[in-house]
Amino acid sequence: MNAIDGTDRQIKTDNSPPPSLLAIVLDTNPHAWAHLSSTLPLRNALANILVFINAHLASGNANEVVVIAAHSHRAVFLYPTPKTPTPRNNSNGNGNGAANGDVDMNETGAGSMEDGGPKDVSISDNPNKYRPFAVVESAILQNFAALLDATTPAHLAATPTTLIGGALSLALSYIAKSTLLRSPLDSVVDNPLSALADSETLHTKRESLTSRILIVSVSGDLANQYIPVMNSIFAAQRKRIPIDILKLAGDTVLLQQASDATGGVYMKPDRPEGLLQYLMMAFLPDTTARRSLVMPSAGGVDFRAACFCHRNVVDIGYVCSVCLSIFCTSDLPSNLCLTCGSYLSLRSAQTNPPALVPRKKKKKKRAGGADSTTPGGSTPAGSGTPMHS
Amino acid sequence: MSASSSQALEYLELLPRQTHTKLYEQPSTVLAIFRCMLPHLAKSLVMAMLYMPSSLSAQDLDTWFRPTARSDKDKSISILEQLHIVVLKQDASRQNSYELSKGFARALRQALEGSGSHRSFGVPSSETDPDKVTVAFLDEFAQGQWENILFYMVGSTVGLSSSNALGRDVGEGTKALLRLGEFVKSTHARVSITRAGFTFVLQETSAQVWSLLIVYLKHADQLGMSETDVLSFLFMLGSLELGQDYTISTLSATQLQMLEDLYAFGIIYRSNEKAKTFYPTRLAVTLTSDAGMLSTSSTLRNKAISNEVSHRSAPNTGFIIVETNYRLYAYTDSLLQISILSLFTKLTTRFPNLVSGKLTKESITRAVKLGISSAQILSYLTSHAHPQMQKNNPYLPPTVMDQIRLWEYEGERVETTNGFLMKDFPSDAEYRDLAAYAESLGVLIWRNDARRMCFVDRVDQISSYLKKKSQK
Repeated sequence: MNAIDGTDRQIKTDNSPPPSLLAIVLDTNPHAWAHLSSTLPLRNALANILVFINAHLASGNANEVVVIAAHSHRAVFLYPTPKTPTPRNNSNGNGNGAANGDVDMNETGAGSMEDGGPKDVSISDNPNKYRPFAVVESAILQNFAALLDATTPAHLAATPTTLIGGALSLALSYIAKSTLLRSPLDSVVDNPLSALADSETLHTKRESLTSRILIVSVSGDLANQYIPVMNSIFAAQRKRIPIDILKLAGDTVLLQQASDATGGVYMKPDRPEGLLQYLMMAFLPDTTARRSLVMPSAGGVDFRAACFCHRNVVDIGYVCSVCLSIFCTSDLPSNLCLTCGSYLSLRSAQTNPPALVPRKKKKKKRAGGADSTTPGGSTPAGSGTPMHS
Repeated sequence: MSASSSQALEYLELLPRQTHTKLYEQPSTVLAIFRCMLPHLAKSLVMAMLYMPSSLSAQDLDTWFRPTARSDKDKSISILEQLHIVVLKQDASRQNSYELSKGFARALRQALEGSGSHRSFGVPSSETDPDKVTVAFLDEFAQGQWENILFYMVGSTVGLSSSNALGRDVGEGTKALLRLGEFVKSTHARVSITRAGFTFVLQETSAQVWSLLIVYLKHADQLGMSETDVLSFLFMLGSLELGQDYTISTLSATQLQMLEDLYAFGIIYRSNEKAKTFYPTRLAVTLTSDAGMLSTSSTLRNKAISNEVSHRSAPNTGFIIVETNYRLYAYTDSLLQISILSLFTKLTTRFPNLVSGKLTKESITRAVKLGISSAQILSYLTSHAHPQMQKNNPYLPPTVMDQIRLWEYEGERVETTNGFLMKDFPSDAEYRDLAAYAESLGVLIWRNDARRMCFVDRVDQISSYLKKKSQK
């Protein structure tokens, strides 16, 4: 009889891990890959990443993957294939990366949730390949080739950087959408309000989808996208989406902070040749498995920020007292904050050395009677206190 | 890993090393085993070691795992060792290190890279079939065949003969198989269901398929088939694409022989016995994944919908509502479901799409006498709970769950487990060490620290552990 104490009522011991969504942001900056071509050509890297994607898909029956290319002039989905062909975006790198991402997302949004992209993609029926793998691979390769074909010398000349910010926000919005679609109750679709009403029970009950983002980065100099990237990082942090960084080349300031803030894995291998082993060992375990594994992380994190005026990474800067924007210099145009437009003047601070205000001599305390001056003496207890002291 | 594949895993674990080695020659088999049989951590482990140039030393492995996850690590390693996927090696300096078995590693790499020329993921038919069947037709076919089998088992016990309900009769081969698996027993030409049969019927569909297939596997030798061939064929079926026809020209003799039986189960479809192609049904493609499995007839009405839903996100449809006052409402018109329910429910009213009844002490004790356990009833009710019930945690009202158990316990108060008693330990430290190890493996049933005794239900891993320890 002791067995019935209500402790093991939960019969369905569903210990299978929740499906995991892996968003890979692949930095496809042609400048950086050209630089790397002697040690790790893009072709090899892509092949290794495809094997890694297959390994991820094999690790769970319901696992999903989304691959986004952060190119020099645009960020675009490689998998799943966007339904409508994306028209050219005229953003040339120094613009707002996040805005660029928004445009892409709106266009691809409707079709992107379909499994495996459009069906008319011809996949060679290869009996040596597991079909889901083949579907993903061919879609990625096709879209990637299309992306490279669309890149003109003019694009390359325009900017040396990569639109990580745009790609990150694409990844985040895709994850948000998948999570919403995966949420267990049917009523979510019919009536979003009812889902809100009992959202508490919903969250505690089922872990629907665990997501993570992996950025394979090769290019440095991301400081000009400081604001969009930081915003994405905070969004990821809030949604508990770890951002893993595999830094094959380039400087590290921003992305290190990304993995640190979101609890992701950070690796900067000295030799990029063993890419696949790095991927398999450090980046394949999903959030469930990471609870029992010791994951590599950034040792000393460089927390420096980039200034909002010239996108330089600064050690010490000036901070707007209203909106906390960071500037590397004090002479702003007409002394207005670039972000919020508040009037900022450093004149007084610069011209007048901080004055040392002489300390006033304290008046001698009156012994005993000091307490009686405090208000509230009307209550009998309060009035009684000084009498006893 | 899920409930349905765990019994397949248990079966696999018992196979000898030679069978494993032979199985691992096929990339599709290796991939299927990797995808569905291994625990989550073991997958990470295998993947980490797959492209590692040297073997992974036991020390490094320990540092990779968090100290809190020790028991999980032990469990993963021991399963991997049982399946002969990971081999423990000792080099000259007596350092332990783990290594993937060569065949497994090679096949898994081939599967991931899509290299090699093994053609193990099924060869699609080159010529287009003039009368190609649709996915909806395949679903209907599979469902029909499978429900026939279930109804054959349940119907006779409840008193409905199978012939008048669903039309088609179950083949002789399938009947023989059900008897071999001791799911039914026939006395005086009357078929009655056994306790194992109840377990079978109350499981989810994919678990049922595996149960039946495991019986099939165990008796493959008697039918003159090679066990390895049968297994690799099943795993291959699991990686095929629904609605695609595959050629039979690459199959071995054993596998050709299997086609007929699998057709009878509804796992594959062939237009006729001479056909050069076969279609896997949903039962086949979900052999190695649980997502989007074919739900039994409760969802006949929703079928049009569920077909459209991609197989990854099929809705979890249930139809049973249980109230705290023990009343039960089931939105179903399937004779099979009604007869299963009537095994442990006192059904009172039947409407076109609804039956209602009550769980009473009488009905539950009758079920227990027939050999159904309360846990089976509860798991059946839970897995078929109506979406509205699924908002609760747990799905069923706790009072009802407890009461069903209490009713069962009134009859039987002793629970038995087969196993091994470990006693006469030389030292307390040794006893504690072993008991802790057994506990981390999950095989410890009972322990008595004062008398230094413990009871385990499986001993093979423990004995290898002891052997390893005595070598040190």
